[in-house]
Amino acid sequence: MCHCSQCRKQSGGIWASAQVRDTDISISGPVSWFEATSTAKRGSCPRCGSFLFWKGAGEDTISFALGAIDGNSGLRVEKHIFTASKGDYYEIADGVPQEH
Amino acid sequence: MIIGSCLCGAVAFELTPPLRPVYACHCTQCRKTSGHFWAATSVPDAALVLTRQDGLRWFQSSATTKRGFCGGCGSSLFWVPEGEERMVVAAGAIDTPAELQTKAHVFMADKGDYYEIADGLPQCAGFKGDEGA
Repeated sequence: MCHCSQCRKQSGGIWASAQVRDTDISISGPVSWFEATSTAKRGSCPRCGSFLFWKGAGEDTISFALGAIDGNSGLRVEKHIFTASKGDYYEIADGVPQEH
Repeated sequence: MIIGSCLCGAVAFELTPPLRPVYACHCTQCRKTSGHFWAATSVPDAALVLTRQDGLRWFQSSATTKRGFCGGCGSSLFWVPEGEERMVVAAGAIDTPAELQTKAHVFMADKGDYYEIADGLPQCAGFKGDEGA
């Protein structure tokens, strides 16, 4: 769960994702990629704006939005990250580890 | 004056307080567009001025609602219920400390299976507009 200012801006709240190897994901349909920094790019749907992907430059993995998953994911949240940048309008109280 | 923008800056806005408290929406549409759940305040149309909108794109998400996002960076910014003369604005887009508080979690019947909400705020299966009042 990423609370960095970039994920907060793009998601509108908090961004939740899991990660897979590039070889373990198949993407169909157009993706609009935006490079907020030179170290990563962010993928969204050009038609509805859904925030779908985050990919670090040079990495062979890709993060995908958990909100995009249809039905149960079977996943659990592992940690909150970049909580130093979190918004002032909410508290994190789920007991999951936090990284500043 | 409260200011906000998308991630790339191609959509920017000013809000005139007061701002409605934030509702965190866990409905399927908000989960899809945000990537998790969507947190938003709301203002009357007259209290929002778009200071930059060349990136603004609209998606008709239902017969009576549309969502505004940035075509440049994909930021989820607005939700508009037609005929209500108000704009629902993503809390994550706001730059100015706005002293907002989250009032309730709504549409919890649609929430994802991978997280729990434990902040003590009201949790509502749907949303009638007065949750946590």
